[in-house]
Amino acid sequence: METTTFGAIAAAGVAAGGIAVCFAGNGEGLLRPPGAADEADFRARCIKCGRCLEACPYQAIRMAKGPTGAETGTPVIDARAQACRLCADFPCIAACPTEALHPVSARDEVRMGCAVINRDLCIAVQGMRCEVCYRACPFIDSAIAIGASVREGDAIHAVFEPLIDPEKCVGCGLCVQRCVVSDPQVAIEIVRDYGEARRRIDEEQAKHVSNPWAG
Amino acid sequence: MDVTRRDFVKASAIAAAMAAAGGSLAACASKSDAGQQGAGDTQTHTAVCRFCGCGCGVLVETKDGKVTAVTGDPDNQSNRGLNCVKGYYLGKILYGKDRLTTPLIRDDAGTKGTESGLREASWEEALELVSTKLRETWKKDKSRLAFWGSGQQPITEGYLTAKFWKAGLLSNNIDPNARMCMASAVVGFMNVFQTDEPAGCYEDFDNADVFITWGANMAEAHPMLYSRLTAHKLQNESVRHIDITTMKTRTSASADKVLLFRPGTDLAIANCVANYLIQNKKYDADFVRDHLQFKMGTENIGNAYEDGYDKSDLGKSVDKTTACTFEEYAARLADYTLEYTSELSGVSVEDLTDLCEVFADPDLRVMSLWTMGVNQHNRGTWMNHNLHNIHLLSGKYGKPGSTAFSLTGQPSACGTAREVGTFCHRLPADLVVANEAHRRYTEAVWNLPEGYLDEIKTPGYHTIKLFREMSKGNIDFLWSAHNNWAQSLPNLTRFLGEDGEHTGIFDTFIAVNEVYPTLTTQYADVVFPVAMWVEREGQFGNAERRTSVFEKAVEPVGDAKWDVWVLLEVARRVLEGETIDGEDAFTRLFGFIWDAEKDDFNGDSREVNRAIWEEYRTFSNPDLNERAAAINAEKKLKMEAKQLAPYDEYLAHHGLTWPVREVDGQWLPTKWRFSDGKQADGYDEVGIEMYGDKGLAGGMSWYKSADHKPSVVFRPYEPPAQEPSAEFPFWFCTGRLLEHWHTGTMTRRVEELDRALPEALLSMNADDAAALGVNDGDMVQLTSPHGTMQIKVSLAGRVEPPSGMVFAPFFAAETLINRVVQDYYCPLSKETDYKKTCVSIKKA
Repeated sequence: METTTFGAIAAAGVAAGGIAVCFAGNGEGLLRPPGAADEADFRARCIKCGRCLEACPYQAIRMAKGPTGAETGTPVIDARAQACRLCADFPCIAACPTEALHPVSARDEVRMGCAVINRDLCIAVQGMRCEVCYRACPFIDSAIAIGASVREGDAIHAVFEPLIDPEKCVGCGLCVQRCVVSDPQVAIEIVRDYGEARRRIDEEQAKHVSNPWAG
Repeated sequence: MDVTRRDFVKASAIAAAMAAAGGSLAACASKSDAGQQGAGDTQTHTAVCRFCGCGCGVLVETKDGKVTAVTGDPDNQSNRGLNCVKGYYLGKILYGKDRLTTPLIRDDAGTKGTESGLREASWEEALELVSTKLRETWKKDKSRLAFWGSGQQPITEGYLTAKFWKAGLLSNNIDPNARMCMASAVVGFMNVFQTDEPAGCYEDFDNADVFITWGANMAEAHPMLYSRLTAHKLQNESVRHIDITTMKTRTSASADKVLLFRPGTDLAIANCVANYLIQNKKYDADFVRDHLQFKMGTENIGNAYEDGYDKSDLGKSVDKTTACTFEEYAARLADYTLEYTSELSGVSVEDLTDLCEVFADPDLRVMSLWTMGVNQHNRGTWMNHNLHNIHLLSGKYGKPGSTAFSLTGQPSACGTAREVGTFCHRLPADLVVANEAHRRYTEAVWNLPEGYLDEIKTPGYHTIKLFREMSKGNIDFLWSAHNNWAQSLPNLTRFLGEDGEHTGIFDTFIAVNEVYPTLTTQYADVVFPVAMWVEREGQFGNAERRTSVFEKAVEPVGDAKWDVWVLLEVARRVLEGETIDGEDAFTRLFGFIWDAEKDDFNGDSREVNRAIWEEYRTFSNPDLNERAAAINAEKKLKMEAKQLAPYDEYLAHHGLTWPVREVDGQWLPTKWRFSDGKQADGYDEVGIEMYGDKGLAGGMSWYKSADHKPSVVFRPYEPPAQEPSAEFPFWFCTGRLLEHWHTGTMTRRVEELDRALPEALLSMNADDAAALGVNDGDMVQLTSPHGTMQIKVSLAGRVEPPSGMVFAPFFAAETLINRVVQDYYCPLSKETDYKKTCVSIKKA
């Protein structure tokens, strides 16, 4: 299938083989506010003071819940409920007394994580003109671009597939908040570890997703 | 339970988990065919998406009287199973929590403009009240009543409404929201070709060498067609797309070249192309010789700043044209040099030359595409002329892939508003009230005495005139259906009486057919709950002249009724005791579908639709009516130019593009009008044999045009109605975005679509934002000479206006951007310019 990319993006490479991995949620899977480094660094510094929550004008930052465990009370972002809106002045980082949230020089320097699309669930991959994540992305045509290809079995229509560029995606999660698919799960998620995200993007790209409408 | 920061600060631990968003409604769109494997009572119906003008086919699955799934129709040749995200969730629009299911009456007009004041009522009470008010107004002063319809009204419904208004009430005060959408295209087609609607079709997308979008964000507003354009580009490396626009959109993002022009100067750009072709002798001389006539029109026509503009000497002269020679036309174009046009428009000489060369190359097939940027323009009709002009001069018209294709906005702006003629100046099938032969023909089809329609020979109020009159207290009765004017009209500060001066809305008796509470129902005295989409059978006509039927799949919810039933129940009461030619007027007009004894339809939804269709189809099949056939022949009306097929043909074929011709017992569609070739291949063989000429340049024959020659009319550049000033330094452009349909009353009730685009944002240039001290997400106050409103700024870049321009969509009632939008219209088409209001912006 020939793919042409609109705009300048680094198209995701296609990995050979690959087995779908079930990615269970754990402390390392939690989406942290902007400025957080890896989970070990963050845990070592965060004193659960709640100032970042207070500072967030969008109430995107919440307290991690759970009956027990070290992560309880740490700040997390549930992107589906409210993504990080990448305030220009990062009030959450400014409020952090321990540099658990490290200073960030610009919005595009944030590295909260990287979006990964589940191509089996994404309706754009199946040929629907959706691309809601692409149009919602604060780095449109950069972090998410559209890869267009001719639709399988239908020479007069194109598939407009959102493609993530791990170099540019900051992991704000606005795409997750906006995604129209929720059943059985949201078709896009933020993976905090960029290496893991790249691996999964490659794996997704290697999948053949058939188009159930193709005649 | 959600955890706010206050909870966090005050409480120590909260264990409740938050449920993920989601949960599916009964009408969840399914991507599998599992529905067909279910119980025996699952049924599948063919239908058409009820949003934009693309006209995508869908299949509707029902079970136990409810729509359970909607999927793309793989057999529909327009979309082959593809939908946009709106169409994907189409089924859910039926089942919003606050669907209107009972008639509502407002007893205290003082509650208008609020969310309260409407009480439930019986159909009898609601119908009696509306009928009494309409009859009272009608008997007292016919100029004080009006109907405002829609390009979303199915064909048979629009047809009957027009018949009731024009023949029953003898009133021309009926106009559709299509006035605000397609009127400039209509007047352009009528002036140039003497027949409305594009000559080409969607297959032109598969054959073009160059696509040019003129002020059209097709990527968002025509999702399926943009997919088709893109597929053709992907398969042919040499195919180019040039986007000519006032701001960068998602369409620009994927175009090969973007020409950014100063608002309004598209007129000059098109004239520059025409001038280049003539100066460099690169026009199609054979085409010019065989096909074209040249004209001059009235110039310096000003703007409709005053309510009395239409009746001023200037306003009355705008349609006038005089014949001229090719040389005279060329002489007027001479000002539009590359240099002058570049200076005026801001487009570089190099880019203009590239555009001109596209039209100059005889080997390139060029498809121009336009919609609201050209139509909602203070010189919208002129710009339509100028686009036809350059395609005609270059001979890029008629061959597959070479056409000037006006995209339509609504699902049946073509099928209903334009073809049925639900306008204040029109009759069905391109006929107009002012033309005596047209009235005679209509009288024949409607079985009216000769001269009966002479009382409506003067056009009624066009949309803006109507609402301006209403705002001044000069309309006593207004009925609207399939629209939401209290949100979609421009200059709402005036029309909603918020300026304290124009408060007529509070005194007008307003009846509204609706499916959900809207801003408009907040001003209604009576709300009729009506059937929505596939709760009755109906028909849409899309942008490529394709008429399609959507089948009835389920009964209307609650006590909601089919619009036609409501119309006839009112008509029966209003016309009681009236006669035509000694016969009961209601029976004469509507007896063919109504059983007086039963006081109900004389058949089911299919039979009633078929009967209405067969009468309507007589307009384009004069042989079905002896009296009509005689007038058609004597007056050379060529009514067959828009020939429609018997109703059941549409059911069998998932839609057909008109004119549909009967050849050897088979009804064959026409894809390329006025283009010679075999009918079976989609060319206009039958039409050309009947009325046209063979052997002319390009194999074309414009048999419907005067002297068989389309008119190239010189239309100069004249400035927009408002231009930026120190007080109002920004252009404000408005429009639609992919996730929401028009005023959002349906799509915002679909959880997924609301989630996808929950608020209307003001797209702004980053430099302008910095200069104003505004960040992404900040609220600003937008003020025009007409009104003011607040809106949140987005710098994300989905729409990227150049410095000095801002953009916002109109789907959000809570933002109500139309409070600030100007109500100045194209003097010829009376279509409003929603694209160029001048505003000031400050941080709120």
